[in-house]
Amino acid sequence: MTQRPPETSSSAGVSRRRFLQGSGTALAAGVTTSEASSSAGPAAAPRLSGEVEVTFQLNGEARTALVEPRTTLLSLLRHHLSPPLTGTKEVCDRGNCGACTVQIDGAPAYSCLTLAVDLAGRSVRTIEGVGSPESLHPVQRAFCEQDAAMCGFCTPGFVVATVAALEQEPQASLERVKERLSGNLCRCGTYPHIFAAVQEVTGQRTDEVFREEGR
Amino acid sequence: MKPFEMALPRSVEEATRLLPDTIGDDRARLLAGGQDLLTEMKEHLVEPDVVVNLKSVPGLAGIEDEGSAVRIGALTTLATLEAFAAQSPFEGCERGFRMLLEAVESVASPQIRSQATLGGNLNQRPRCWYYRMEQFPCLKKGGTECFSYYGKNRYNAILGGGPSYIVHPSDLAVALTALDAEVELVGPTGTRSMLVEDFFVLPSEGDPLRETRIAANEVLSCVRIPKASMARKSVWLKFKERDAYDFALASVALSAEHAGDGSYGDVRLVLGGVAPTPWRCHRTEKKLLGREPGEDASVLAQEDALAEAEPLSENGYKVPLTKGLIAQALLRIEEVR
Amino acid sequence: MEPEIRWKDRDDLTVLDRSLPRVDAVAKVTGTARYSHDMRLPGMVYARLVLLPWSRARIQVIDLAPAQALPGVVHAALVEEDKELVRYLGDDAVVAVVAAESPEQARDAARAVRIDWTPEDNPLITREQVSEEDASSLARRGNVWQSGERGDEDSTQRALQGALVMVEAEYSAPVQHHACLETHGCVVDFRGGDEATVYASTQAVSNNPRSFARALGLDSAQVRVVCEYMGGGFGSKFGIGLEGRVACEVAKALGRPVHLMVDRPQEFLMTGNRSGTRQVMRAGADRDGRIVALHVEADKFGGVSGGSLPTPPYIYRVEEAYARIHTVHAALDGNRAMRAPGHPQASFAMESMVDELATELGMDAVEVRIQNLASETHHRQLRAVARAIGWDQHPFRTSPADRPLESHERPPGCPAAPPGWMEGIGFAVSQWGAGGRRGAQCEVRIESDGSVTSSCGVQDLGTGARSYVAAIVAEELGLERDQVTARIGDSALPPGVASGGSVTTGSVAPAVQHAALLAREAMEERAVAVLGGETGGFSFERGRITRKDDASRSITWREACALLGEEPVSVVGSFQRELHQGGVHGAQAARVAVDPMTGRVKVLDMACVQDQGIPLNRATVRSQINGGMVQGLSYALFEQRVVDPDFGAVLTANFEDYKIAGAKDIPRMQPIIDEGDQRSAVMGMAEATGVPGAGAIANAVHNACGARVRALPITPDRVLEALGRKG
Repeated sequence: MTQRPPETSSSAGVSRRRFLQGSGTALAAGVTTSEASSSAGPAAAPRLSGEVEVTFQLNGEARTALVEPRTTLLSLLRHHLSPPLTGTKEVCDRGNCGACTVQIDGAPAYSCLTLAVDLAGRSVRTIEGVGSPESLHPVQRAFCEQDAAMCGFCTPGFVVATVAALEQEPQASLERVKERLSGNLCRCGTYPHIFAAVQEVTGQRTDEVFREEGR
Repeated sequence: MKPFEMALPRSVEEATRLLPDTIGDDRARLLAGGQDLLTEMKEHLVEPDVVVNLKSVPGLAGIEDEGSAVRIGALTTLATLEAFAAQSPFEGCERGFRMLLEAVESVASPQIRSQATLGGNLNQRPRCWYYRMEQFPCLKKGGTECFSYYGKNRYNAILGGGPSYIVHPSDLAVALTALDAEVELVGPTGTRSMLVEDFFVLPSEGDPLRETRIAANEVLSCVRIPKASMARKSVWLKFKERDAYDFALASVALSAEHAGDGSYGDVRLVLGGVAPTPWRCHRTEKKLLGREPGEDASVLAQEDALAEAEPLSENGYKVPLTKGLIAQALLRIEEVR
Repeated sequence: MEPEIRWKDRDDLTVLDRSLPRVDAVAKVTGTARYSHDMRLPGMVYARLVLLPWSRARIQVIDLAPAQALPGVVHAALVEEDKELVRYLGDDAVVAVVAAESPEQARDAARAVRIDWTPEDNPLITREQVSEEDASSLARRGNVWQSGERGDEDSTQRALQGALVMVEAEYSAPVQHHACLETHGCVVDFRGGDEATVYASTQAVSNNPRSFARALGLDSAQVRVVCEYMGGGFGSKFGIGLEGRVACEVAKALGRPVHLMVDRPQEFLMTGNRSGTRQVMRAGADRDGRIVALHVEADKFGGVSGGSLPTPPYIYRVEEAYARIHTVHAALDGNRAMRAPGHPQASFAMESMVDELATELGMDAVEVRIQNLASETHHRQLRAVARAIGWDQHPFRTSPADRPLESHERPPGCPAAPPGWMEGIGFAVSQWGAGGRRGAQCEVRIESDGSVTSSCGVQDLGTGARSYVAAIVAEELGLERDQVTARIGDSALPPGVASGGSVTTGSVAPAVQHAALLAREAMEERAVAVLGGETGGFSFERGRITRKDDASRSITWREACALLGEEPVSVVGSFQRELHQGGVHGAQAARVAVDPMTGRVKVLDMACVQDQGIPLNRATVRSQINGGMVQGLSYALFEQRVVDPDFGAVLTANFEDYKIAGAKDIPRMQPIIDEGDQRSAVMGMAEATGVPGAGAIANAVHNACGARVRALPITPDRVLEALGRKG
């Protein structure tokens, strides 16, 4: 086993840095991409371009929206619907954090990594479709009771991910719950209370989760 | 994301005709679950004019019993595979499915697995931060340098690196290699199959722009796993820096048949997270043949599998870590029933 | 007549010191809570900053024309005319702003801005680079300067020589990000004229109008700042920032509402951080474990800012101590306050050092702490947290474990390590000034229909401030909490204070209580008219006002309010010194499992005992304690900004590479409210809870397997390296 020498001398660094010799768009440092010769050729397949109509079920109602092929479901919800549905949050826009979690045909999905045009004929449920202030879903009620929201920005994503998890596995163990919520991030540190809320819903309150009794 | 047209082919053949002929020509790209492609497009790593949506092709998803093999369609989502593997309805395949289940569950997050497909998982691009940041014109993007070599390389390759030092991010590629799986590739002029192991290609063996042997205008249509391999004892271990949603620092897929005397018969030892491809340890497998499981065999396997390791400045820890995982895999496989 | 300024006796509390759902819980769990990100106003445009993500870039040309030519683009401007150099990779790297009708169009426009630039030779990232002879200066005092010194070096050296045992070690901590889930930014509603409303994601609603007014060319009184909900601040959202100033410029130029929230990479690159540190320590102890000497040389890495680190010794009593601290600048985003600025760094080093001394002496990790801590509160808390974590059953209290634990060696219900893993326990303590400051006011209004409103401009960062603005009033007036409506997060309301240093509760709650007492007195005056007696002679309980001297003389709350007629009660309370106190303490313990084969650390259990005077809401206090522990765990095991020092670029500007703890990383957690604290005062405690986690976990790792990891985060490579060192 040979250890490659680390190169940290700044003179080497500087010369390597100089080769960036940036110009171009704001971000790219002059990347040359290979010029390719072929063409995609004539295509008979149907194509979507410009603005296209997509019809899908949103929170139980048929909706038709006009979107570009590149429009994500997240952007459609938050910016292109009237009125917009802003309960679904944009945090990373790269499928790392779970704040934009929705259910598509019941399964949890990142709306930032879903193209709106792919929704044709499918069914989407957002936090607004899970419950309302007047009619809370049991998961939402448990989140309230267990103080499972602090700043609240990750909360809609966690609620939807929890609903999706418990619809698939109503009796999920705490370990399973952690696994099913592992695609969501919270910065305030509400996790222990989220687990308590889930266990309240599943009726499995155990010592695993701290809960202060009698107050 | 740059605006694009979306093409909706009705057959695999039609999809292949919509694709460019040359690797690196990104004017058209295949979309399956989109869990990797969309992030690449958002980062402007690829900016296709046409996105060819494979989801419009019927029949590409599903898991079938083909008699001697299990066939998994390329558009099968990881969530579907997960649920199927948990059921394990094909006789004699329980061990293989149990290992696949462990591997699938270790991939990303439930949300990703709902949409990500098997084909997309095998064809996903590297996670190296220099690759993922548009501002670095790295080798993988047609540039001239692998920035990790002198740079921040704690997650990069210790085996098989050069001129690029990425590690392949697919967990399933590692697990499927241990199960002797094959991929089926459909091109404009025909269909070919190859072992998953052969599907992946080291940067030194060819074009550093790519990680696999798939042609620019081919579509990965399915994966086949021999039932004989599914019958072997198999284990999957993935080591993540963080338990929630992370790529492997290292992983091990081990599949083995014991001889009547308890010694190793047939062995597959495949490492992930340490090389630009799934890293099958052929020599180590041979050395294990006929040996009794135990401390001696374990030490031999650990040392032999990592003998060629050439760590970069910050990833030497992967050597003992991977050895530790190999040791644990060898212990675990003795418990498999 | 001024009412007596006091809190009710603990035993009499019916709303406070209880676990109640926060008043905005429903809004948060249903997605109806509206954050700045969610504001949608008629005619609103989306603005986007253009950031050149390299340190030290010399700019030749910035061409906005390609952006301006795109559909939907309504604005493109340079942030600074004739800018020639990106001095550092932070807000100084923001070179332009664009605005468009849709977010997608704004994104396209930002990307289309063409910048020609060349890198300066020296990216000014590492200590070596900024110390080069010809390195450009990033600060008036140079790139490396002595920013703190305390103690007598000679006598410390002498004391070190006289110590029975001596430990010398270097501890380092990386730059940590706030990583607020809601990025920085605001929506500026200014359509010309002399009025503006700004929906800002801020920790300082009442302080922001001045800055926004200056940026808009208005007077403070003409600008209203609203922040009903905000998605995390942790110290990074006090000022309006470059993004706020630029949003105002765009609004002025367009006369339309402007939505400008920075994107996720920008959030990592330009909105502050917790500074990194390197602390070289030499410490000596006597045979009783008393720390007799501590010599510290420390560097603070705060980018273009000074960095923060309380001058050692941290919390522990040391007979002779000397510390010299240097600020080391780099061409990177400056640090900002972050949940107990400087303290987690100080704690990690100090607690590790205390533990190393204990190991040298073969002393119990709890006993050595009690020996060196002045506060009885800490002694009590350490014993409590030791009980909670199972220290008494633990067989390895004076030296690292040499075998996996047996099941009887941990308390019932305590999570166990996987087979073959080693298990250990570690401790650390915290203290925090908290306290309060004057300036906060609260208005309580009571209408004749019985409705009660409690209003204060303060923001709720997720701490539960909105809930206690209602709860305190309900407590004093004998009402249910939900009979009082809280209005917060609006600079048009009576002023709150900026939420920093855990002073919000200590500042605002006394003002609310004062208003409640005034309101109570006003209601008593009305009650006298029908019930007789005199003010001060009534009890307010369960929705009734009753004469204390004659329980038969009583009216309901509604009846009393009906007496108000056309004259509602409106009183304004202000900060009252005697209702608050400073000085909170905490102790934490962590139980970890370490896989000696792979270096993997898994936290199994954490316990925190924390005091805070009167717990205004036990549920939200527990949430805060959990939050501190979770952030401490995340800091201990995962978080670090990674910079390529050759190129001057940050490699971790996203949530994939900048790792924070997720659900599967969370152990059992025991947030314990210190019932031993019976102070009749309120105080904030959140910052204290974020301090000790890393030290406790690092010590637990050592206790588990003898691996002393002196650099955060405690990643497998470092554990394996430390195990190798151990031999």
